[in-house]
Amino acid sequence: MPQVTNAREALADLAEGLPPPDMDPITFEVLRNAFMTVTEEMAVTLRRTAYSTNVKTRGDFSCSVIDRDLRVIAQSGQPGHLVSIATTIPASVREIGIEKFRPGDAFLVNDPYRGSNHLNDITCFAPVFVAGELFGFVANMAHHVDVGGASPASLGVNTEIFQEGVILPVTQIAADGAIIDNVMNLILANVRPRREVLGDLRAQLSANAVAARRIGELIATHGLPTLRKFCDELLAYTNRWVDLELRRLPQGTFRAEVFRDDDGISDEPIRLCIAVTLKDGQAILDITGTSPQVRGPMNATRMQTRRSLTHILRCLCDPRIPNNSGFLDRVQCVGPDRTVLTAESPAAVVGAFETMYRVVSGIMLALHPVLPERLPAAGKSLVVNLGFAGWHPRLREYYCYMETVGGGDGARPHKDGYDAVQSEMQNTENAPIEEVELNYPVMIKRYELIEDSGGPGRFRGGLGVRRDFWFAEEECSFSILSDGRKFAPWGLAGGGEGRVARYVLDPDGEARELPSKVTLRVPKGGVVSVQTPGGGGFGPASARDPAKVAEDVANRKVSAAAAAGTYGVKAVR
Amino acid sequence: MALAGSKGGSGRFRIGIDIGGTFTDVVVFDRASGELMLVKVPSVPADPAQGFLNGFDRALRQYGIAIGDVEFIGHGTTVATNTIIEGKGATAGLIASEGFSDVLEIAYQIRPNLFDLMYDKPRPLVARRMALGVPERIGPDGKVYVPLDQAAVVERARALQAMGAEAVVIAFLHSYRFPAHERAARDAIQRACPGLPVVLSSDVCPEFREYPRTSTSVVNAVLLPRVGRYVARLGEALAERGARGGLHLMTSSGGVMAGPVAARYPVQLLESGPAATVLGANHVAAVAGFPNAIVFDMGGTTAKVAMVTNGAPRITDQFEVGPMAVASDTAGRGRGHPVRTPTVEMVEVGAGGGSVAAVDPGGALSVGPESMGADPGPACYAQGGAKATITDANLILGRLNPDFFLGGEKMLDAALAEAAVQNHIARRRGWNLTEAANAIIEVGVARMAAALKMVSIRRGIDPRGYVLVACGGGGPLHAAAIARQVGMTAVLIPPAPGLTSALGLLATDLRHDLVRNVMTETRNADPDALDAAYGELAAEGARLLAEEAVPPEAMRHQRLADLCYVGQAFQLRIPVPDGPVTAATLAVLQDRFHAAHKAAYGFASEGEPTEIVSLRLAAIGAIQRPELREAARGGDNPAAALKARRKVYFHEAGGALDCPIYDRARLAAGNIIAGPAVVEQMDTTTLLPPGATATVDRIGNLLLRV
Repeated sequence: MPQVTNAREALADLAEGLPPPDMDPITFEVLRNAFMTVTEEMAVTLRRTAYSTNVKTRGDFSCSVIDRDLRVIAQSGQPGHLVSIATTIPASVREIGIEKFRPGDAFLVNDPYRGSNHLNDITCFAPVFVAGELFGFVANMAHHVDVGGASPASLGVNTEIFQEGVILPVTQIAADGAIIDNVMNLILANVRPRREVLGDLRAQLSANAVAARRIGELIATHGLPTLRKFCDELLAYTNRWVDLELRRLPQGTFRAEVFRDDDGISDEPIRLCIAVTLKDGQAILDITGTSPQVRGPMNATRMQTRRSLTHILRCLCDPRIPNNSGFLDRVQCVGPDRTVLTAESPAAVVGAFETMYRVVSGIMLALHPVLPERLPAAGKSLVVNLGFAGWHPRLREYYCYMETVGGGDGARPHKDGYDAVQSEMQNTENAPIEEVELNYPVMIKRYELIEDSGGPGRFRGGLGVRRDFWFAEEECSFSILSDGRKFAPWGLAGGGEGRVARYVLDPDGEARELPSKVTLRVPKGGVVSVQTPGGGGFGPASARDPAKVAEDVANRKVSAAAAAGTYGVKAVR
Repeated sequence: MALAGSKGGSGRFRIGIDIGGTFTDVVVFDRASGELMLVKVPSVPADPAQGFLNGFDRALRQYGIAIGDVEFIGHGTTVATNTIIEGKGATAGLIASEGFSDVLEIAYQIRPNLFDLMYDKPRPLVARRMALGVPERIGPDGKVYVPLDQAAVVERARALQAMGAEAVVIAFLHSYRFPAHERAARDAIQRACPGLPVVLSSDVCPEFREYPRTSTSVVNAVLLPRVGRYVARLGEALAERGARGGLHLMTSSGGVMAGPVAARYPVQLLESGPAATVLGANHVAAVAGFPNAIVFDMGGTTAKVAMVTNGAPRITDQFEVGPMAVASDTAGRGRGHPVRTPTVEMVEVGAGGGSVAAVDPGGALSVGPESMGADPGPACYAQGGAKATITDANLILGRLNPDFFLGGEKMLDAALAEAAVQNHIARRRGWNLTEAANAIIEVGVARMAAALKMVSIRRGIDPRGYVLVACGGGGPLHAAAIARQVGMTAVLIPPAPGLTSALGLLATDLRHDLVRNVMTETRNADPDALDAAYGELAAEGARLLAEEAVPPEAMRHQRLADLCYVGQAFQLRIPVPDGPVTAATLAVLQDRFHAAHKAAYGFASEGEPTEIVSLRLAAIGAIQRPELREAARGGDNPAAALKARRKVYFHEAGGALDCPIYDRARLAAGNIIAGPAVVEQMDTTTLLPPGATATVDRIGNLLLRV
């Protein structure tokens, strides 16, 4: 798009005034790439050695390097994790006392009230010492299949965090490079899939070990003073660049009010009030007016709420800006405590991502009037957390499994939204059907796009997905922790809504509609059908190119009836 | 067809033909004299076969070769890759298990970029209207939940044919292990729709995980008609000319396949060209006495690095193809169409001669991945490019000869290079021109060295035991600096670095990579069953080699097994001891796996059960390698090849030094050159920094000690 190119060039001109990093440019470039490579190598190690499908196949984890001053230097992974590590590690290190760390130590933390997302996301971190001197820390966060609690995959309609699983405050898991067995045993005794949790924790420890080795090599080559100087310069450089970018965005306060269906206990919709202020290089999200914290598990902490704005700003700023504290520190969340977006202990939080993703799309809705060319309509705006557990007849053990399902993405000002993708802050892969069926006593009965689920528009919203789980051989306990059955993804600029989500037991028989937050027993032979929302459309449907409507009809993405009724186009298959 | 594997073949000549974007290179090897003869003709992008035949005919004419004396024709082709990149594949249909026909639409359900709201995903190679389901379902243990509805299969195939399908893919769940339904469906279609090509996923890629398997099979199907026609046309044209030596095509894994086999599995040809380069470099290194080589190939847009250990290139299992694809299994997934076939692994970094240097808005200097390519190219090409590139920086530093670029075919404009570096880099950073040009080169070299570390040190391999073989136009210019950055001491510059891939076509065996998913815990595995499976794979390999006229005495095979801890998703490939598979074999496999896991990831869980996921067998038909003829001998003094002197900047010397410039064509074996010096030849320039020496070895390689 020409506008974007021009903006980039104008920006580059403006940038001539910025001072360069105060460092040899070659060393700066070498170290910048080297730290990025460290986090990527951590990711490869974690993925390749992990046991759970969620980590090894779906990639639900993130990796970071943190310096002695507790600043994030480099990060890779799921956008939904990034601010969390940046919050958890400084808090955890201060809690222990930085002088108390010893070589060979490793710690775990998953407490949302210490910066984690929910209990399933366990951060594993370790100090990095070279020749007796502390460089900083390496950390990775992985979403574990299950951390105990009342329901399979730790997904349930609970009212206190104590029911959601085992809470790990800053907990030492290794000393002198060896796992502390009684701590590990305590954790494993509290979770359903012991082998997978153990395998994933070991993978997390080894990813950190790889990173520590690489940082040691960098220090051997360049010296610790150079690395420290680099960290300062990298953050200053990022800061200057972010500042420039934020000042170039429209300045002012922009508002939206959006809703989630319910908290799983009452039918009351949850109101989310968003006021984004962009001013003088700062970004502030004010949530005043948002519903008070709820009894069910849809609460988010202030850290999580802040992160939703960080994500949108990353999407709007130059993609070459490095991912580190220089960026993350620019964003604040203000407004009263104890709302659904600023929850306090012991509120239940496992569904926080569902709330957050609606905040993310809400921020885009708020900014749309001033950035009409740069933001999409609402996508599925859901994680769609699914978990189930039961007896594994072949392995003769209790198993537990979790996954999330993609849906329609929002249409863009010049393009359709994509079908069947993760949206907002999430980018985890699907679990291959053959891998799931080989490892767990479940069959997938169908996995396909839902016709007519995309919001109509000049540019069509993406289609939602139907994935049916068939328990042909054994009964199970099945949890859904989601939303999106009542409030649909909206369109923009005259585009229509995407189809809402549906959760159905026995879809080809009795077809009982399920709530979006439920744990139920599925009998042997039962089927649970998960149908995710479509994305919203962009621009009026009447403006859609009839040839595209005809193509959608030929491809069974839009029915002939919808083509005629919604688009006014006669098309046959 | 000639006996490709026969040591005693009567043909005297072996011919390798590599089609590049601009030129088609022909290398003729005369077995009688050991001489290598070269011919370059312009490529014909609109009709690559014509370019091939032009080069072939010209080589025969020019060297007076009788066609009956040609025993082997090897060919590296970009036809397969370009067909996908240009979106010119055939119209294919897909028949999947009912309820799963959206496997290509849904793909991995990820977005290719986390922070780009305007992202694009690759368009599926089969339109959704042509992806149909049929009633059938087999479970992971082989249980038939829904029998195959053969009538539905025929009905779908006819519908697809009516919609214009030129080939049909059948991909059913769990067919990697239970292919009965796929085979029955194929038979039904062949009876009902004779002549319609049918591709089975269980044949092309018998590995679990439905999306990569289906995608690989679909890529094969969309390539079938065009690549099949191309191969057939070449075969016929060669036959018309009376060629006895059959046409052989380079595969992604670095082996060759006879034309008719390659025409059935064109998906194996996607990385034909890069594989040929690695094989060619490997051959040069082997002849020069180096079994371990790191191949460094620098072109206009990117630099590629590959590892060869004990003569075997490192192989990767999966990559992606398409205009936006990143050719790697781990980074940038979801930008292309996954292809799961063994492929010579090359790590690619966006640092080539045309890579753009820029000061980013935050004030840091970056080089690449943006590239000016060949058109408009670097500023000094005077084709309208105004951005500063690596080539411009090299020209400013005196390393390139403005009057002898591509042997004088292109004049370089130094003033334009200077203006670009001045405006985009020097002025913004407050440097003088030389400082700016040097910084561009150093950042570029650092990026290339990082790629080299990625394939070596990061995998626990010490690059100091390897020789760096520099290929491509830019490789020899930067090889010494890169070698020094990673502590390597030996650099090899082949006589014709630009012809490495054509040479590679003559230096490889016939090869078929076969796989069988077994998925059994090692402790429960039945050695007899595994032995029988290897036996079946070996028989299949022998059948394919026999089809290629390889005599039994030239056949051999390598056995590997993929193992992981029970529950892991990624396997390590472990060599299987020779002889019948017994309980002892399994114990050795398991021990080797623990050791490999520790080497790769830093830990082994010796108490944990392991799983054998797949058995692999490479069926190899050995060929005779070209024995390169020795170069003319001279003394150690290279003075006879001195063509000029000029000032060349070296950062380590703190400024420009007066350097001798040598003509590569006039160097003789035994000549020794001390750096600083520059060696110029038609297709490249070699830079010797101060302190490095180069010896011309007996076959004309430059062996640098840096």
